[in-house]
Formats: sequence, C-alpha cells, structure tokens
Amino acid sequence: MTRVGNNQAMAASAASKVVGMRRESIWQRAAFRDTGATIIVVAILLLAMEVSSHFVPDYIMPSPVAVAKAAIGLANNDYSHILITLGRLLAAMLFAMVAGVLLGLVMGMSPIFRPFIRSLVIIDTGIPALSWILLAVFWFKNPETRIFFILVMILLPFYALNIYDGIRALPKDLVDMIESFRPSRWQTLRYLILPHIVPYILLTTKSVIGYATRMVIFAELVASAVGVGSRMGLAQSTFHVDQVLAWTFFLVVLNIVMQFLVTGAEKALLKWRPEASVR
Amino acid sequence: MTVNVTTSLVNSGDEVISLRDVSKTFGGFRAVDDLSFSVREGEIVTLLGQTGAGKTTVLNLIMGTLQPDAGSIRVAGFDPFGQFRDMKGRMAVSFQTDRLLPWRTALENVELGLLILGRPKHEAREVARSWLARVNLAEAESKYAHELSGGMRQRVALARALAVDPKLVLLDESFSQLDHVTSQTLRRDFCELARNLGKTCLMVTHRIDDAIEMADRVIVLGPGARISLEMGLGEARSNEMTREASRKKIEAALGLQEKKQDYQGE
Repeated sequence: MTRVGNNQAMAASAASKVVGMRRESIWQRAAFRDTGATIIVVAILLLAMEVSSHFVPDYIMPSPVAVAKAAIGLANNDYSHILITLGRLLAAMLFAMVAGVLLGLVMGMSPIFRPFIRSLVIIDTGIPALSWILLAVFWFKNPETRIFFILVMILLPFYALNIYDGIRALPKDLVDMIESFRPSRWQTLRYLILPHIVPYILLTTKSVIGYATRMVIFAELVASAVGVGSRMGLAQSTFHVDQVLAWTFFLVVLNIVMQFLVTGAEKALLKWRPEASVR
Repeated sequence: MTVNVTTSLVNSGDEVISLRDVSKTFGGFRAVDDLSFSVREGEIVTLLGQTGAGKTTVLNLIMGTLQPDAGSIRVAGFDPFGQFRDMKGRMAVSFQTDRLLPWRTALENVELGLLILGRPKHEAREVARSWLARVNLAEAESKYAHELSGGMRQRVALARALAVDPKLVLLDESFSQLDHVTSQTLRRDFCELARNLGKTCLMVTHRIDDAIEMADRVIVLGPGARISLEMGLGEARSNEMTREASRKKIEAALGLQEKKQDYQGE
C-alpha cells in the first residue's frame, strides 16, 4: 500500500473511530440514559393504565386522559392544598434537621449527655409512625401542631443518628492537626466539625425526602381537614380514583423537584469533593 | 539506663523545649524511659530513631496531646499538657501527611491557624497569601487539596504551620512520604525559611539524610526512647568528610552497621 493509501486508510479508520465514539458517547451519557429510561417507564405505565381502563370501571382504573383532566382541575382549583402540604413538609423537615443536627452534635461532643440522648433517639426509632399519628390526635387539638409533631418525631432520629455517626467518622488526623493550633471548642466546631457534617446532613435530607412526603400525606389523612392527604381521603370516599391518581402525580413531581433542589445544594456545597467513579 | 548528655550542650536560659526524666508507659510497655533533653532557641534538632523507638510518643508529649507518667516537660515555658490552651500560637506542627482540610482551598488552609489565633479575616488572608507566595504556590491559592500534588500539599501544610509565626515548629516525618527529589527540595526550602526566621525546630525522622541535611544537632533514640547518641551536626552540613563520619556514628548508634555486617556474613 502506498503512503497515500496508508494515510487514507488511517483517516478512514480515525473517522470510523470518531463516529463510533460519538455513538458510544450518546448512548453512554448518563443524563441521556436516565432521561430515556424514565420516558420509557412512564410510557409503559401510561399504556398499562390506558389498556386496563378499557376492562375495568372508572372507579378502579381511569384512563390517563381522565387523570390528566382531574390533575388540571385540581391544579386550577385546589393548588392551595399542595402549598399547605409543601409548607408543612418544609417546616417540619427544617426543624427536624436543626434539632437533629444539634442532638447529633451533643451526642458527638459530650460524653456526659451522649448515653441519655442516644437512648432517647434509639427508643424513638423503634416507635411506629402510626403510634405518633394516633397519639398526636389525642394530644393536640390544632391540626398544624399535630402534623408538625408527627413529622418531627419521625424525621428527627434520622438526622441525630447520622450526624452522630458523622462526628464519629471524623478523621483523627484532622482532629490532631486542628488541636495543634489550640482552638476553643467553638473554633473546633466551626472550622472542623460543621464543614465535616455537611455531607451527612445533605445525605440524610436526600434519604428522608420521599419518606417524609409519604408521612405528611398519611398524617394529613388522619389528623387534618386540609392538605393533599385529606383531599386524597375525600377523593377516595367519593370514588374519585382519577383525583387520587392526580394527587399522586403531584406528589411524585413534588418529590422529584425536592430531590433536584437538594442535589443542586449538594453540588454547590460539596464542590470541594472529588467525584469518584468505579469502573 | 538514661544517657543524659544535654546539660553540657544546653544553656538552660534560652531553652524552648526541656524534658527532664520523662517516662510514658502504655499498658505494660514503657515507650519512653526516663528521657531528658533540651532544645535551645533558634536550634534545629532532629530526633532520629528506628520504628518503635518512641519518637512519635516523645513528639506527642511535647505537643501536649499525651500526659507524661513521670518527669517534667516545659515548652516555651509552659506545661504543654496542663496548659494546653495557653500555648496558643507558640507552637505549630507539620505532620507526616499534609492533613489539609479538604473543604478549604489552599489559601483557606493556610489561613486556618491565623483565624484560630483570632486574627481578623482580612489580615489572616493577607498573611496566608504572602506565605503561599513564599512556598511558590501563589497560583494555587484557590485549589482544593485533591487538586494539588503531594509536594504542593506538603508545602501548603508547611505554610500553614509557619504562618502563625510560632516560636517552635515540630516536624513529624514531614518529608518522608514524598519522592526523593521533592523531599530534598522541600527540606532545603524549609531549612532556609526556618533559619532566616530564627525558628526553633524539632524534627522527628527515621531518615539519616534528613537529619544530616537539616539539623544543627541530632539525638538518636534507641528502644524506650533512650538516648544512644547526641551530636552536633553544624560542620557535617558543609564538610563531606565530617558528614560521612557523622553518618557512620549515627548508623552505629542505630545499630545499622551490625545489621549490615550480619547481611554480609550471610
């Protein structure tokens, strides 16, 4: 083969490699793959709904079109219930986060209080959510207090225990390093412990968002007359399964949006952390 | 048996570190056995010993993170364990690994000690920036630890230690994890800085080269941190023959020559 021929062959090979790489990169791109998979799954679910709606009555499985109509109707007339639920969820999660982090810090930093707080938190983890819901109905008159109490009691141990574990995982090397400068306890907390536990707070928040959303709906169903949970109860008692599914759709979207926001916060706050990937 | 040879070498008036009959036991193991030595102001002293000789325990006792079972320790006039917080700003430590806080940039890591000392933020930033420039890392000030090479990280750690302008700098095998060339460059840079600033330094190492190249005096520790040799090294740094003689003496004190002969015999 001549040199020109060689060059052409190499160029062709390189071109085919480039094309191959392009194909590979599109199919292997995580964002594309994730979005594509989600679209496929949603399409299958909608198709299953559509097919089954032809064989069963509306109060068992309405068609996706009926659910979409119900969703539009609820979004126009009943959006305040979504805002109420969202407000309850955010208030309780924020309080549980602050209180849980404080309890975790006390457990991690005070050997005197550690066994008492740890016992309390571990007992709390063993109490079923339903017990808190029923007790809240007995103990509090105000529905807002009930729901706030239920959510805080359920979410707080997650934060407290994870933060405590985070402090226990603090590298001794870093503790010795900062101690060599003779910091006050407040300075150790500010420069070492608080930045170290930020990933634990974010991870806990990511883990409990879905659970907290399910719990607030459950609590509203039992303990309140307003909010998505109570509206879902009403829809169920009046055989409006399309509305139950429409509310469910809103909750799924709400959960996705909140997960997205926490992921954004994680990217902003943990930009110092190198991304590791396993082959 | 303790070999106390410090008294003749040290003028007690300007001692920055002073250990008198110090012992420390862990369980039944006597890690430090009746140790006495001193380090004068502006001196660079190396504690040399093989693994398990108790070097790090001695360093921890001087840092104040361990309490001696017997004897007395004074660092810059303070009891480092009993007066732990009173020693703020008087001592800085450079460790074997860089121990940079991963969530802080190079500049923020250098600032750390200054902020703990209570210096205003803008002043701490200025001082930190000038120290990064002194260790040739001005360009890397906004990089996080994982974005720096091993040598760069260790430079940041040295800048962090020196930025607080301490009376005493402790170095715990600070250059031992770096490759030969980086380690040699850093040793030279550090020595130049420390001597220009008149810092008192106590360096713990197991590498004879580190001791000879950097220190004014070497203290060789045997098992139980007992002193087996104490020797001035001022001349050894400039004179090749003295350097070789010093190396042989240190090797003998460490028992390395016997080991060499054993290997040759085999």
